[in-house]
Amino acid sequence: MTRLVRRQGWVAGLLVLFVVLFVITKLIQPGYGSGDFGSLVRAVLPYAFAVAAQTIVVIAGGIDLSVGAMMALTSVTAASMMDGASEEYAVFVVPFVLAMGLVLGAVNGMLIVVTRVPDIVVTLATLFVLQGAALLVLGAPGGAVAEWLRATIVGTVAIPGLPEISAWIPKALVLLVVFLCIIWIPLKRSKLGLSIYAIGSSELAAFRSGVPVARTRIIAYALSGLFAAMGGLALTMSTGIGAPIPGPYLLASVAAVVLGGVALGGGKGGLLGPIVAVFVLRLVRTDLTLLAIDPNVTAIIEGAIMVAVVMFGAFITMRSRQS
Amino acid sequence: MKKYLAMVPLLAGAAFLASVGVSSAEAKYTIGVSNTVQGNGWREEMICAIKAQALASGQVTKLNIAHRNTDAAGQLEDIRNLISAKVNAIVVNPADPAGIKSALEEATKAGIVVVAVDQAVTEPSAYIISNNQEQYAYLGAKWLFQQIGGKGDVVYMRGAAGASADSDRDKGFKKALAEFPDVKVVHEVFTGWQQDQGKQQILDFIATGSPFNGIWTSGIDNVIVDALVESQTPLVPVVGADNAGFVGQLNSVEGLVGAAVTNPGSIGGAGVTLALQILNGKKPAEQTVLVEPQLWENATEEGKAKLKSVADPSLSPEWPVSISIPEWTTYTKDQIIACKGPGE
Repeated sequence: MTRLVRRQGWVAGLLVLFVVLFVITKLIQPGYGSGDFGSLVRAVLPYAFAVAAQTIVVIAGGIDLSVGAMMALTSVTAASMMDGASEEYAVFVVPFVLAMGLVLGAVNGMLIVVTRVPDIVVTLATLFVLQGAALLVLGAPGGAVAEWLRATIVGTVAIPGLPEISAWIPKALVLLVVFLCIIWIPLKRSKLGLSIYAIGSSELAAFRSGVPVARTRIIAYALSGLFAAMGGLALTMSTGIGAPIPGPYLLASVAAVVLGGVALGGGKGGLLGPIVAVFVLRLVRTDLTLLAIDPNVTAIIEGAIMVAVVMFGAFITMRSRQS
Repeated sequence: MKKYLAMVPLLAGAAFLASVGVSSAEAKYTIGVSNTVQGNGWREEMICAIKAQALASGQVTKLNIAHRNTDAAGQLEDIRNLISAKVNAIVVNPADPAGIKSALEEATKAGIVVVAVDQAVTEPSAYIISNNQEQYAYLGAKWLFQQIGGKGDVVYMRGAAGASADSDRDKGFKKALAEFPDVKVVHEVFTGWQQDQGKQQILDFIATGSPFNGIWTSGIDNVIVDALVESQTPLVPVVGADNAGFVGQLNSVEGLVGAAVTNPGSIGGAGVTLALQILNGKKPAEQTVLVEPQLWENATEEGKAKLKSVADPSLSPEWPVSISIPEWTTYTKDQIIACKGPGE
């Protein structure tokens, strides 16, 4: 148990922070309840997938600036395909859009591997390309979403006999956990997952140990594209439309990755930390709204909290290393 | 002294009556605001009008303003946070007419009065108070086409793609265009209602050397005149909004012929008034209330006099000069410029 706490110290700290924030929220707004928690999870959803997309490439020692644009493109593609189509057609749209994300991500990876241009440059270029492509698909926000798809993130999961507990389990949370787990857990336990950490930690050492560096990098970007496509779908599911101009997801994803304890240099960290970090950041936004803080100050407060947490974390890590 | 003593109960009674009078108009409502464009002059005036009207009404204890640059998904989050904050009414300038429907529906279900300002929303339970955007474009475009003699090439500088205010204005513009078959649109761009972007776009177009006879803008206007002057291009008629900077140019720039169509950002204040009316049990007859625009031009003596009278160099150039809307706003100019809400 202590070993687990030590290994997951950062995540545990973030969880404590989340609980503290939750208590503060309860103090500010005593009526804050399960329905409001459901709203929080729905707000978290697109950010969480964006962060997952960013986390996996950062662990592999890269960075993906095209996350937001990829979400916009997949979102408008899904929304325009479902516009005027039957409910059943959406069953085909979802895997198509996910596959599209996977392929686009792989293209990112291949460009980086083949051209040897730094990932920050390649993904910056694809950011513009994908943004343009999104505007080609839909010149203005529009499209539609299948009702059943929309319903998958509305309401709570009904556990028979336990209405109090089930009220606190929004469907959006289940969807998030399921989709992250079915990709992340098998990956983390596989040789491929180990290779991703290895190339992020030291590419040369990984290469000398027989890790197929190029292939691993391409797969990491492909998975990032897959997560971004999930984020795009989440956007369409929550708004009911597709918007071609990317939202604030790129910078938010990098912020949550850092706050989540993933080293920007690569090779260190997990997925749980950044996801909890997203919850923390969204809850901070909720509290600032509940407190009716001057809106021009909120962005400064959000930034200041992030810097403070990361600095405090680094300080604790340093102290524990010394002792 | 006795005489005065006899008046004490009377005074007490008067004081009591006065206190009743005060308490009936006592501040009792919390109003939430959601806006998704920050750093734009028009939107800033809208926010200040909301604050000033909330203060002037005396019925608002607190404003809860969610004001940041975000997308429809972010606005869903903001509106749901306002629902959590248990506000009595929400005044919203929608990022997308359909994209925020689910949260507005949840707000109405929670007993919150929802008023959309500036642009329409698809949620049927929401009240809408907006400038008549179709008429806004029609008035200006018709004037422009008449001004260039019913034929020629015009540059069409729109707002933000997908915004309902933009699509409504497009309807009005096309309506006017249909009445003038010899007028052609040579260049159509979306400025995104961003000053820098609009200026760059017109400079790019001027650089192509294509001739044009007039420019219609969706409110990014003073930088267009700046661009024409700076690049020493012959001045053509320009249509813009009633932004202080543009109105000033219409009065002062030598040889500039143009028209300003009113599009008051103070509509935000009108939204607060409407929300308070509904909270006090006075519902409007229609779900949608439209404020009609006016056109002020400098081609006639009469128009020039009007433009002179409305010009207000004390305002920021990006702020519309129509800082109040008769019958809908009650604050003073000092209050809107101070931009302070209740409790600030």
